[in-house]
Amino acid sequence: MLEEGPMATLMNDPMRLYRARRDAERKRVTEKYLIEGFISSGTYGRVYKAKSRDSDGRIHAIKKFKPDKEGDIITYTGISQSAIREIALNREISHENVVALKEVILEDKSIYMVFEYAEHDFLQVIHHHSQTLRTGITLPVLKSLTYQLLNGLLYLHTVHIIHRDLKPANILITASGVVKIGDLGLARLTHQPLQPLFAGDKVVVTIWYRAPELLLGAKHYNKAVDVWAVGCVMAELASLRPIFKGEEAKLDSKKNVPFQKDQLLKIFEVLGTPDEREWPGVKTLPEYQNMKRLDVYKNHLLDWFQSRTRSTEGYELLRLLFAYDPDNRLTAKEALQNKWFHEDPKPTANAFQSLPPHQIPPQRRISHDDAPSMIPLPAASQSQAQSQVQAQIAQVQAQAQAHLSAQLSHSHSGKPGSAASFASLSGGATGIGSGHARKKARIG
Amino acid sequence: MATDFWASSHYNRWVLDRATLKQARAEDLQYVDGPGYLDFLNIFFANLISKLGKKLQLRQRVIATATVFFRRFYVKNAYCETDPFIVAAACCYVAAKAEESPVHIKNVVSEARMLFSNKEHGVKTFPSDNSKLAEMEFYLVDDLECDLTVFHPYRTLMTLVGKEGNPHASEAEAGEVGIGVDDGPRYWGTGEGKLELQEGAVQMAWFIINDTYRSDLCLLYPPHLIAIAALYMTLALHSHTRSHIQLQAQSVSPQQNSQSNHSQSQSGPSQPTRRSSRSSVTAQKKQPQDIIGFMAGLNVNMALIATIAQEIISLYALWDRYKEDAGGTDSARGSFAHSNVGTLAGSKRAASGVVRSGSVMSAGTTSSGATPSAGDINDPSLIMEMPQQVVTPAFLVQLLSRMREARLTDLAQSASGRPVAVNKMLERTQAAG
Repeated sequence: MLEEGPMATLMNDPMRLYRARRDAERKRVTEKYLIEGFISSGTYGRVYKAKSRDSDGRIHAIKKFKPDKEGDIITYTGISQSAIREIALNREISHENVVALKEVILEDKSIYMVFEYAEHDFLQVIHHHSQTLRTGITLPVLKSLTYQLLNGLLYLHTVHIIHRDLKPANILITASGVVKIGDLGLARLTHQPLQPLFAGDKVVVTIWYRAPELLLGAKHYNKAVDVWAVGCVMAELASLRPIFKGEEAKLDSKKNVPFQKDQLLKIFEVLGTPDEREWPGVKTLPEYQNMKRLDVYKNHLLDWFQSRTRSTEGYELLRLLFAYDPDNRLTAKEALQNKWFHEDPKPTANAFQSLPPHQIPPQRRISHDDAPSMIPLPAASQSQAQSQVQAQIAQVQAQAQAHLSAQLSHSHSGKPGSAASFASLSGGATGIGSGHARKKARIG
Repeated sequence: MATDFWASSHYNRWVLDRATLKQARAEDLQYVDGPGYLDFLNIFFANLISKLGKKLQLRQRVIATATVFFRRFYVKNAYCETDPFIVAAACCYVAAKAEESPVHIKNVVSEARMLFSNKEHGVKTFPSDNSKLAEMEFYLVDDLECDLTVFHPYRTLMTLVGKEGNPHASEAEAGEVGIGVDDGPRYWGTGEGKLELQEGAVQMAWFIINDTYRSDLCLLYPPHLIAIAALYMTLALHSHTRSHIQLQAQSVSPQQNSQSNHSQSQSGPSQPTRRSSRSSVTAQKKQPQDIIGFMAGLNVNMALIATIAQEIISLYALWDRYKEDAGGTDSARGSFAHSNVGTLAGSKRAASGVVRSGSVMSAGTTSSGATPSAGDINDPSLIMEMPQQVVTPAFLVQLLSRMREARLTDLAQSASGRPVAVNKMLERTQAAG
């Protein structure tokens, strides 16, 4: 039957009409949100602050995944594993202390994840105290932030999600002082996965927050890696500096994961060299022999703690979060039951409740996007897109009609229609919205 | 998957009612002679996804997820307006990522091209360009509303038979029984303990679950109910288990009998055709392990379980009419045909299958090249006995292409040519989500 001619072309790309309709139905990001400015960028893409055009005018953070490029042309190369993961997990979860995903918009080869907005993050709070206030974070605030962080982590662990990238920059705080764990781009479900956790991502957790079992090459690890990271974050809140600030040994050319000597030494200097009696499993880890060659240190966490915080408030909890043996490390649940959280001052739902206004960290700074914005102009209005679909359908109709009449006059041997008439159609299919003067798009 | 089922996107947005499904197929129905054709397409594409998945070395759970994605896509779209082959390939590609066992896009493209163009399918139009599949992925994820976490009956089955701690219980021969299934707590009811079943029986239940993906069941019922229905059928079907149960049944005391009668009336009052499973349910009472007590303790609606079991049986009846090169040995279909439940399927057919049989028959007739006549349609029993009336992949591929052609012609001829409104029911679901 139809192996040539216009109908054949349509049969060969039968998804053209489908796509045109979907494109027309979909509300564009810029129709729904007014972009107020650029917040940050990373390997994943860029984050923008945006105001809903709804009557509520709510503020959001929109994460735009970096589109794949071949030269200057953006093409479809498949959605990244990390985007799929972050989308899939975020659609299933809901908790006070985890950043909520409002919606995902797929538009023009780009993925936009719209999150609830958080005015602050742990890193900014730490900077504010070390640079501007030049005082430590007060005890009620420290305790509340740590408590809420653990509370969010308990939720994630309860639904079998390991975060795998907890660090101050990923832990947000709303203007009303509620902690929100963000960035599930590295997170994984843990229950009897089809692939070992190790298989997918060879390196997890930013080096300063990486648990010793990971540094020693463990192929099987668990939720305890997140608890270690919480310990690092808590120590950093208390001292305003990363507690284990090691240098990362980079992957070699064959992508082998190197021995992280410097980071391990930074840990050993404070916590001492792991003792095989307190962590029997250490002997089975791949990097154990390398570890044995390092200098031996004694634990002096208490000295470290007292000299940095001039107090022992929270020391006991920190010590238990830093248990070397992952099986002995506190779970998020046990940590929340620690007596520190049940002594005065008790943690508060608004972590900043105890603060005078001038001590509350400043609002998140936003800037105008220096690179050409990735957010397109709102030029492609609904009606425009709609009319393009109409045009396409009209074209299809015309071609189908041509084909039908050709069929009446010729037999199947003929070549109904003309190939030329299709040049415009194939151009039109990708035309919707993709060509909007991206260079003109400026934010703010 | 291991998040909370009752809070999941699966439970809250993707367990649909029949009316929604019917509405979803309304457009396609304009281009086929009866709903039976579309049921065959369900079998065909589930098989196709399974074959492609095996070429890509995907696990059973990934294949199941891909199939669910495909079903969900066609709740919002029509076969006659889309290319189900590229949709199927995209479903495999996304499912592999969603289940954390990604495959490279170029492998998906080359395997899909090879499989779809073989002599059984003869579809030569699959694009060789990776970006075409990636583009489809993009639209697919959008149509799936980004709900990429799917629950499956396998997990419930493994929990109930106490296999979850032993994922490597059976090897390649058994397909993949038990491998890669989440354990985690049972997420419904109050039942406790494990059902002690022979390995062969567990395997049969697993295969029945595999088979349910050939129908719309995964859109209609929560997965744990499908698992229990598969177990229920296994208790009746697995010959060794059944004879064991029957042996035990001979010493049932009157008191226990009345008890079991009671549970029996609870479990299936509205199922006149399920005689063999019913009798075995009665018989199970006397096993050392109290199977009926166990099933009752599951605290699920047994009438619903019976309905699901019946739908699975009618799937097998339909499947009998479909001929395709077997893609593997992970179906319970064979054991079904050979056991006396074949008669069960027959009785179901006779009792309520008239409308369905009509469409099946007309599909068969068309495939053999003859114009279906009204006389044929009114005499399903006759057609059912005609062995040449089978549906083949080649026929279905042709059918799809005719549907699409007819749809385009209608678009061309219609004065308005406006896009057909999307499914209203789903729009509501979307709005609620």
